[in-house]
Amino acid sequence: MIITAAVLMGAIGLFFAIFLVFANSKFAVETDPKLDRVEGALPGVNCGGCGYASCALYAEAIVEKDEDLNLCVVGGAQTTKDVARVMGVQVSGEQKEKLVAVVFCQGDNEASKFPGVYKGIEDCAAAIYSQDVSKRCKYGCVGMGSCVKSCPFDAIHLSEGGIPFVDAEKCTACGNCVRACPRDLIELHPVSHNSFVYCKSQDPGPVARKVCSKACIACQICVKAAAKDENAEAVTMNNNLAVVTPEPYAAKPEYGAKCPTSAYASGVNSIRKAEVLGYAPLGGEPMTDATGAVDATETGEAVAATNESTEG
Amino acid sequence: MTYLVTLISAIVVNNFVLTYFVGICPFIGVSKKIDSALSMGIAVTFVMTITAIVTWIINHYVLIAFGLPFLEYVSYIVVIASLVQFVEMFIKKTSPALYKTLGIFLPLITTNCAILFVALIQAMRNLGFIESVVQGFGAGVGFTLAIVIMAGIREQLEVADIPKPFRGAAITLITAGILALAFMGFSGLTSA
Repeated sequence: MIITAAVLMGAIGLFFAIFLVFANSKFAVETDPKLDRVEGALPGVNCGGCGYASCALYAEAIVEKDEDLNLCVVGGAQTTKDVARVMGVQVSGEQKEKLVAVVFCQGDNEASKFPGVYKGIEDCAAAIYSQDVSKRCKYGCVGMGSCVKSCPFDAIHLSEGGIPFVDAEKCTACGNCVRACPRDLIELHPVSHNSFVYCKSQDPGPVARKVCSKACIACQICVKAAAKDENAEAVTMNNNLAVVTPEPYAAKPEYGAKCPTSAYASGVNSIRKAEVLGYAPLGGEPMTDATGAVDATETGEAVAATNESTEG
Repeated sequence: MTYLVTLISAIVVNNFVLTYFVGICPFIGVSKKIDSALSMGIAVTFVMTITAIVTWIINHYVLIAFGLPFLEYVSYIVVIASLVQFVEMFIKKTSPALYKTLGIFLPLITTNCAILFVALIQAMRNLGFIESVVQGFGAGVGFTLAIVIMAGIREQLEVADIPKPFRGAAITLITAGILALAFMGFSGLTSA
């Protein structure tokens, strides 16, 4: 009995093994072995930062269409080198400096008072459509966290004041949050550029001052400071708004020293600055915690966002 | 007529997911979007039908013939694992697009207990060949039905204002429970 059972199971196993071997050779799909190796060299997070929907597609583009090797923002220089080794080419040109997402709004719940209670869909665009309850500033962050949900790397969170801040170390500049923000408040900038006018309000000074205590009121103090420093191109005025020129970047933190609303500031919305400003992250856990200081629901959302991005 | 009854019974009355509660993991895991739920359902239906055919043959011509029905579980698992592997190869060769859509769900079907249940229940009920194939197919359609309904509801829930304690897994399980209650309404439709 035991022997029959053993032999029988062995026979079934062997039968299917042979069947699979046969099927494998019959249905073998010819793929370029480079493809697998290039894909292996990529981080495999499928963030879309390179412009392709997944790492596999980017690998395909590299192997078959001679796509540039340095597009992966997540892996950076190391990945470029690894991919170049697989492809057997020398890396030409410099790796771009690491970019991080920068949030151009400081209008938290204190600075820009929230006029009503919004109980609708937790989505920034939806909040903006129901105009009466979004924040008074027509240009500012509405704080519904669409950018937080879009981040596959757990790098962007809402402060207690309802303003997103970015963990520069976790941020890979994949650009998901840039696309997620309906008011275009998030931009990607090299990590060393840290002085900006953190405001997008094009309201005239008096109006801007009324709706938000941290808005740019177009007083031009920073523009004049830059001009005095013989660096007039560094900060320019544009539609009632002082704008730090991103390219070539020449702004210095000193230009904002006399900014009456501290709209011109340095390193705001990065995780370290958030600590200095005394924002406690939701849940009140220490922000420096490596596992990411977010409360349970937010983690859940972040995980859900990750799942969605991998599924989609 | 009997086959029609078997089919309807497998699809709605004895829906595997909502009546027997097997195959819950993909039911919860892959029901976030209707698209992926539908592809999952189709893949499961495909594998279930083939499994029903092969396990019926193995059961009748190997296990019963050699008097070793206790090997049911072990041999079925071998069969299912090999079949899923084969289906994966087949789809990869014939339809790369479908292969990409199904992605990780395809190998995951191996561990879907609903597939094993199809194999076991036909042995348990002593079904004939055609009947067990029909049942396997019906079970797959039932699974697809359940998972697509669930995905539809969850897509709506995504934008609903759910009380905080119920968010996430809690509301999903509550939804599944209510859905199961609703499917109770079909009981008595057939006697099978």
